[in-house]
Amino acid sequence: MKPAPFDYYAPETLEDAVALLEKLEDDDVEAKILAGGQSLMPMLSLRMARPEALVDLGKIKSLDYIREEGGNISIGAMTSKRAVEDSALIREKQPLLHAATLHIGHRQIRNQGTVGGSFAHADPAAEYGAIAQALGMEMVVVGPDGERVVVADDFYISFLTADIDSTEVLTEVRAPVMAAGTGWAFQEICRRQGDLAIAGTAVTLRLENGNCTDVVIAVFGVNAIAARLGDAEQLLNGKAPSEALFREAGRVASAELDEPISDVHASGEYRRDLVATLVRRCLLEAVERVG
Amino acid sequence: MAITIPGSPQDMPTTAPRYVGKEVKRIEDPALVTGTAEFIDNFALPGMAHAAILRSPHPHAKILRVDTSAAEQMPGVVAVLTGADIKRWCNVGTTAPEGWGSTPMAVDKVRFVGEPVAAVAATSRYVAEDALELIEVEYESLPTVRNPQDAVAADAPLIFDNQPSNVIQDRTYTWGEVDQVFDDADHVYTEKFRWNRVGANPMETFGCICHWDVVNNSLTCYGSYQTPSFIALGRAASLNLPSNRVRVVSHPHGGSFGGKGGPRGTDIAALLSRKANGKPVKYIEDRVEYLLAGAGQSWDRYYQASLAVTADGKLTGFKVDLVDDQGAGAEGYGTISAAKPLAAFTGCYTIEAAQYHMKLVATNRAPTYAYRGYGPPPHNVVLESMVDIAARDLGMDPVDIRRRNYIQPDQFPYTIPSGNEYDSGSYAAVLDKVINMSEYQAMRQQQREAREQGRLLGIGVVNTVEPGVFDWNAYSTVGVPGVGVPEGVKVAIDILGHITVTLGFTLEGQGQYTLAAQLVADYFGVEMDSVRVTYASTDVAPPHFGHGGSRLGVALSGAIMGACKKIEEKFRLVVAGLMQCEPDHVELMDGHMRVQGMPGAEMPVAQVAGTMLGRSDLLPPGMEPSPEATYVWTADDRNEPDDQGRCKSYLTAANACHIALVEVDRDTGITQILKYFIVDDCGTRLNPANVEGQIQGSVAQGVGAVLYEEYVYSEADGQPLVSLFSDYLLPGIHEVPMTEKAFIETPSPVAPLGAKGCGEGAIHTTPATIVCAVNDAIAHLGVQTRETPISPNRLWKLLQDVVEEN
Ligand SMILES: Cc1cc2nc3c(=O)[nH]c(=O)nc-3n(C[C@H](O)[C@H](O)[C@H](O)COP(=O)(O)OP(=O)(O)OC[C@H]3O[C@@H](n4cnc5c(N)ncnc54)[C@H](O)[C@@H]3O)c2cc1C
Repeated sequence: MKPAPFDYYAPETLEDAVALLEKLEDDDVEAKILAGGQSLMPMLSLRMARPEALVDLGKIKSLDYIREEGGNISIGAMTSKRAVEDSALIREKQPLLHAATLHIGHRQIRNQGTVGGSFAHADPAAEYGAIAQALGMEMVVVGPDGERVVVADDFYISFLTADIDSTEVLTEVRAPVMAAGTGWAFQEICRRQGDLAIAGTAVTLRLENGNCTDVVIAVFGVNAIAARLGDAEQLLNGKAPSEALFREAGRVASAELDEPISDVHASGEYRRDLVATLVRRCLLEAVERVG
Repeated sequence: MAITIPGSPQDMPTTAPRYVGKEVKRIEDPALVTGTAEFIDNFALPGMAHAAILRSPHPHAKILRVDTSAAEQMPGVVAVLTGADIKRWCNVGTTAPEGWGSTPMAVDKVRFVGEPVAAVAATSRYVAEDALELIEVEYESLPTVRNPQDAVAADAPLIFDNQPSNVIQDRTYTWGEVDQVFDDADHVYTEKFRWNRVGANPMETFGCICHWDVVNNSLTCYGSYQTPSFIALGRAASLNLPSNRVRVVSHPHGGSFGGKGGPRGTDIAALLSRKANGKPVKYIEDRVEYLLAGAGQSWDRYYQASLAVTADGKLTGFKVDLVDDQGAGAEGYGTISAAKPLAAFTGCYTIEAAQYHMKLVATNRAPTYAYRGYGPPPHNVVLESMVDIAARDLGMDPVDIRRRNYIQPDQFPYTIPSGNEYDSGSYAAVLDKVINMSEYQAMRQQQREAREQGRLLGIGVVNTVEPGVFDWNAYSTVGVPGVGVPEGVKVAIDILGHITVTLGFTLEGQGQYTLAAQLVADYFGVEMDSVRVTYASTDVAPPHFGHGGSRLGVALSGAIMGACKKIEEKFRLVVAGLMQCEPDHVELMDGHMRVQGMPGAEMPVAQVAGTMLGRSDLLPPGMEPSPEATYVWTADDRNEPDDQGRCKSYLTAANACHIALVEVDRDTGITQILKYFIVDDCGTRLNPANVEGQIQGSVAQGVGAVLYEEYVYSEADGQPLVSLFSDYLLPGIHEVPMTEKAFIETPSPVAPLGAKGCGEGAIHTTPATIVCAVNDAIAHLGVQTRETPISPNRLWKLLQDVVEEN
C-alpha cells in the first residue's frame, strides 16, 4: 500500500498552479491536484490513481476564505470543511449547507479535507453533490484561458468526474443565501456514523397559503451523481402538507430514480426504498422548520 | 517438592493484599499510549531490507509460469523469492488435522485470493512494491469452490490434491440418550441459522523482522507474535531448522485477538533474508493484505439446531448440525473453533442429552483463524435463540425459562453432556442482579408503550458460560494432541531486594504485566514499583504459551504463586539457619520472614536475598545462593478425551448475563442499541479494571460481529468483495454502547487465587443478546432474523416481507 513514484510540486499562487498544470500538460505529464488528500491519498496508496505529478494547493492561502457577497456565500476551494462547520455565517445564512457539512466523515476528516476537494472529487455519496443540486450552486473554475462559472447541473458529469479540465483549478463554490421562510431538511442513512451515505436527501420548500411551493428534493448516494427528483417536487407543489402526501411523494421519488447502485452495504432495491423513507422524513422535518 | 498454589488472595502471605483485587494503575500503559513501546514497525536493524508480497488475484488457479527477471534487475532490489525457492527450502506447514496445509508461498497452485505467490526484498517498501509490478505470473484458472455446497458437490474440484475430498472433518458426537429425550419431549423446535464470516482486526496488523544467520544456520524473528514459542516451533518445522535454532522475539503489539497470524509472513521474510545472504528483512502486513488474506477471518457457519423441551419449559435435549466453511485448508487452526463449543455446549442449563454433528469443509475462501472467543459466539447465538423460540411458543418470559433450567450452585462441580466440568457458578444470582440493575419490568413496560406508537423495541436476555483456561485436550478431537499448556515465569530477587519477573509473552493490551507486579508485590510485601516485569525471547524464557483461550491471567497467577512459593521455601531454610530454629517455624508474612512464637525475630525479604547473594558463609551448608525460582504452571487434573470427545478441558467456567434494549427502525432496518447491562461472575477479580476492560472491548467486538462486520465473498465467482475498512465495518465509539456493569464473585475452587478466565465472555454473549433483542422487537410481526450480521439491508428485507404480506 505505497504510492507509485510521482513528482511533487507546491506552487504558492493560483497563477503558478495554473501555469504549472499547463506546462505539465504540454510535457505530456499526467498531473493531479492535491488538496486535503483525504480521498486522493488512499487512492494513491492503493495505486488506483497513479499520476506522474502531484500539484499540492496547500500553500495557496488565497483560496481559503468564506464570505458573503451579492446574495451568495462564497467559499474558497482550499477552505477546510471544519471551517464551514465552525462558520457562524454559514450556519445562519445557509443552514442546509451547514447541516450537510456535519455529516461529512469525522471531525478529523473535516479538519483536513477541503471544500474544493469534495466538489472536485464528485463522489456519488458526497453530501455536497446533493447540496449543489438542491441550492443550484455555482462553481468557479480557473484555467489558462481564465475563469468559468459552471452551474451544479452541468458541473457533475459522472462517477468521480466533474467538469474541471486537467489544466484547471476549482477555486470557489457559491451558494445562495437561504431565503427567509424556507423550510429545509437534510437526512442520510449510513452504516456507521461518519461513513459515506448509502442514501441521503436534501429538501427545501416554502409554504404559500398553507400549500407547499418551491419544493426542491435532491438525492445522493444512490446513483453515480446526485440528482433532483422532479416528479416528486411537482407532486408536492401547490398541495397542503400532510403525512399522506409526503408518503406519496416518497413513493414517487423512489419510482423516478435511475437504477440505484448496489454494493456490499446496500442493494439497489434497498437504496430505492430508503429514498422513499428519507424523502418523507425530510419533508416532515422541512415543513416543521417553516414554523 | 509439591508446591501448593494459594486458592484465594487470603491465602497469600499478607494480612491484607494492597494490590491484588484493586484497580491499580497499569504499569504498561504509559509506554503503550505514548507509543514508546517498541512496536515492530518502530524497530530497525542495521542494513535491513523491506519485503512486499505478490498475491494471487484468483481464488483457485494453477501457476504456469513466474517470471521475476525484470524485478531482479530493478535497482534497490536485494532478493526475489518464488515457488522454486520454497520447493527447495520449505516443508508444508503443520495443520490440525494434518494434511490440510500449504507452503508459505504457493508453488504449483493458488487456493485463495491473496495467497502469496512471490516476494521481493528491497531498500524500501516503496521500491519493493514497484518491483512486484514487474513480476509476471501466468495462471490457469480452476473451477472455484465458492462455498460448502460447492465443496461437497459430486464433481467438486479438489482443493488439496492429497485429500480424497474437500471435507476436512465430518464427525458426530452423541452425548446421553438423545433420541430418547427428543422422543419424550413435548415440544421439539428446529431452526436454521447462518453466521457470516467475521474476524479479529487488531489496530496493528502483523509485522516482523527476520534475520537468517547464514554462518550459524539459525533464524531470529522479531515481530508482533501472540504465541511466540508456538510460532518458533512452527517455523522450525516449515523452514527445516532444529527447533533450538529458531529464536522468536515478540514485540509489544497493538492487539491481536488471534489475528496476529504470522506464519506465512515470517517464513517469507526469513527466506528473503536467507536469499539476501543474511540481510535482515522487515515485513509489515498492510490492511489490504490483512483483510484479504491475513489471520482475520473466522467462523463461517451454517447451522441447523433442535431443542427438546417439556410442556413446562424444561430443556432436555439439544442437537446442533454445523457446516463450517474453513476456507482454503486448516493452516489457521480454524478447526479448533468448531471444537471449542464442546467445553460449554449446553450453556448454563441442565440439558441432559446433546448431539453435535460438525462438518468442516475446505473452500477457496481465505483460511480461517482463531478469533477471540474461538467459536462459541455463533454457537451461543444458536443456543440462546433456540431458548427464546421455546419461551415464545410456551408463552414464557425469556427470564423465566432460563431460570427454570439453570445448573444450581449446589450441583457444582457439574459435568455437562459434552464432557467438560464446570467448577462453580451462581447463575440465578447473576440473573437477579442484572434484572434489578436494568429495571427489567420497567423496560418491558416501555416496550409495550412504544409498540402502541408503532415503534419496535426489543429486549434480549442472554446468559452464557465462558470456558476459561484452555487446555490442548479440548482440541485433540481436531488433531492437536496433548494435555496441559505449560506457562512459566522466573521470579528473581536481587542483592538490593528488587524483584524481577521474567516471562515469555509480551504486551498485547490486556494488562498481565500489571497483574504480575501486583501478585509479586503482595506476595513479598514490597511496593509494586519495585517489581519489574520483563520479557524473555523463546530461547531463554521458561516454557510458555502466552495469550489465548482466556487463560493467561489464571495461568500467570499460578506460575507466579509457584515461583514465589519456591523462593519462600528457600528463604525459610536460610532464616532457620540464621535464627537457629526449625524451617517449619519460619513463615513469610507482610514482607518479613518471621520465626513463629519469637516476637522480633524476623528479617525483611530483601535482607534474606542479600544474605543469600552476599554472605555464603551464613547459608546452610551446600545451599545454592540463588534467591530466584522458575515455576511452570499448568492446570491439574486434565485428561484425554474419550471416544465422544468428552474430557475435563477448560479449568474454569465464568458466566455472565447480558440484557440489551434495542430499537429497530421499521422503515430502514437499522438497529440501535438503547441500553446495555452486564452482570458477570469470573470468580476473584484480581484487577477489576482489567476485567472491565476485557468486558467492554469484548462487547465492542460482539456488536461488530452481530451488526456490522462481514467478509463478503461474491456469490457469483467466489471473489472477496471486502479489502478495505470502508467495506469491513468495525464499530466505532458511536456504535458501541458504554455498558452498565456489575458483578458477582463466586471464586473458583480449583484455580489459582479463585480467578476464572474472563477474556472472552462478552463476545460469547453480546451477539446472542442483540439477536434475541432484535427478534423480541419484531417477533409479533411474524418474522425472525437468523442471520448475522443483522445489517440494515437484511433486516429491512425481512420487514419488507411482512409489509408485502399485509
Ligand atoms: C474516513 C473518511 C470518511 C469520509 N466520509 C465522507 C463523507 O461522509 N462524505 C463526503 O463527502 N466525503 C467523505 N470523505 C471524503 C472527504 O470528504 C474528502 O476530503 C473529499 O472527498 C476530498 O477533499 P480533499 O480536500 O481531501 O481532496 P483530495 O483528496 O486532495 O482530492 C480529491 C480529488 O479532487 C481533486 N481536487 C481537489 N481539489 C481540487 C481543486 N481545487 N481543483 C481541482 N481539483 C481538485 C484532486 O485532484 C482529487 O482528484 C471521507 C474521507 C475519509 C477518509
